[in-house]
Amino acid sequence: MPVARGWGSGGLQVSLATVVPEDTVKVIDQGSDSSMNAIALRDLIQRTTGVETTTDAREATLIQTRHRIPEDELGEGQVMVFQVPISDPLRRVDPRPTVTRRLHAERDYAPIWLYLYEDHAQTGHSTFASAHPVEVEGGYIMTPSPIPRHDVPRLDGAPFLSLFGAGREAVVYAVPPYTEVRPLAFTDRPFEREHFDGSCALCGAADTFLVEDEEADSLRLICSDTDHCRRGRS
Amino acid sequence: MSAVLELDALTVRYGEGCPECEGSGPGSPARCTRCGTVWACRDVSLEVEAGDTVGIVGESGSGKSTVLACANLDRPPTSGRVLLQGEDVTEVRGGARRRLRAERLGIVYQAPAQGLDLSVTAGGNVADRLLAAGGRAYAPLRERALDLHQQMELPAGRLDDRARSFSGGMQQRVQLSRALATEPPILLLDEPTSGLDVSVQARLLDLIRRVQLERAVAMVIVSHDLAVIRMLADRLLVMQQGRVVEQGVTDQVLGDPQHAYSQLLVSSQLQ
Repeated sequence: MPVARGWGSGGLQVSLATVVPEDTVKVIDQGSDSSMNAIALRDLIQRTTGVETTTDAREATLIQTRHRIPEDELGEGQVMVFQVPISDPLRRVDPRPTVTRRLHAERDYAPIWLYLYEDHAQTGHSTFASAHPVEVEGGYIMTPSPIPRHDVPRLDGAPFLSLFGAGREAVVYAVPPYTEVRPLAFTDRPFEREHFDGSCALCGAADTFLVEDEEADSLRLICSDTDHCRRGRS
Repeated sequence: MSAVLELDALTVRYGEGCPECEGSGPGSPARCTRCGTVWACRDVSLEVEAGDTVGIVGESGSGKSTVLACANLDRPPTSGRVLLQGEDVTEVRGGARRRLRAERLGIVYQAPAQGLDLSVTAGGNVADRLLAAGGRAYAPLRERALDLHQQMELPAGRLDDRARSFSGGMQQRVQLSRALATEPPILLLDEPTSGLDVSVQARLLDLIRRVQLERAVAMVIVSHDLAVIRMLADRLLVMQQGRVVEQGVTDQVLGDPQHAYSQLLVSSQLQ
């Protein structure tokens, strides 16, 4: 791998292993197509495979992402490739892989539910911020990678294929299209997405995932998905 | 009425055995002098019905804890069977054992750290068992944890304190509320009051008494303290060298012990 582990090597391996000549590739880093990392990865894929690239999520057939799902509605035939730093959500409850593998194998998820219970008991809410654990088809508990809570419900029944690559751990996993993916939450304490006061300072969108504008002099919120935001302004 | 818990001819041995120790009768040592095989418990049977308490006494190394470990499905016996409510569960392992324990077996250990996660809150230790049994709503977990917390006379304001921060006697009460979380039909107590000072011990015994009176639970209590056994157990097994050497109604065995070891045990009690 021409990139260091921790810089998207897991996602890149998955992208390069699955990309076909007909693909159009988009690479985003925290929603942006133009960060240094996104540009470097996109150029690498383009130069080594010769595929077309794009910044428009609607045109892309393969989207490698660090921690966002584009705001555009994605459809069948599209592939999301997620970069994953820590692949096991049970790492929170026990750092030993031998233990967490047994917990997964036996579907022994009481420990992570207990973690959630302790969160509610001590802070009044869930402290899973990004990388909110999800239950896949009512059984396996998986991390969706550190995407914001805003994006988590979009995995449920999604028409696109999700591939996950963790380079450091040499782990890949996948969620097929139209699979039930539910955030871990008590039945009487519903999962909540991030709440924003206000809308995007650039495009005015009120239903997107917003981040602080680091380039502005004063504090203002803008869309994290830069391409979607750009199109929303014109 | 059928037994809630039945242990049928449990034998646990470490080693292959040899013709000499396999055929040996009562009084033979737990460790075979010829082949070195250790017979941790040998041909132990007991039945406990709902509302009934069986005590197991014996010196250290007599096999009490081995019998309890088999009942809790921690380890399979070399031979013999464990039946819960008529169902043979001797070989149950993995996820099925976890569910079975969550729903039907409660256990209190001598050492709080064995029965509790001390880094988790008192309420969390109770909720854990409800979660293992499939509870997925928060409010009922809280209600149940608080209810048991209060039944065990623990201060309501400390439900969300970590188990580590409680005193030894309180930790035993947290263990008891954890054990009772799902109202299991079977409660196993392994030296629950040992190591507590007498006033704290008395309070815990009172609570266990109340559990007996208010719940139709089948109880097995292991203790080396005959006073505890006298107070709690209806029937009694005396173990020595892995074997049951005497059994019967508690008052009878303690009042008129027949076996030499039982006599020794009763006579060596401090008055």
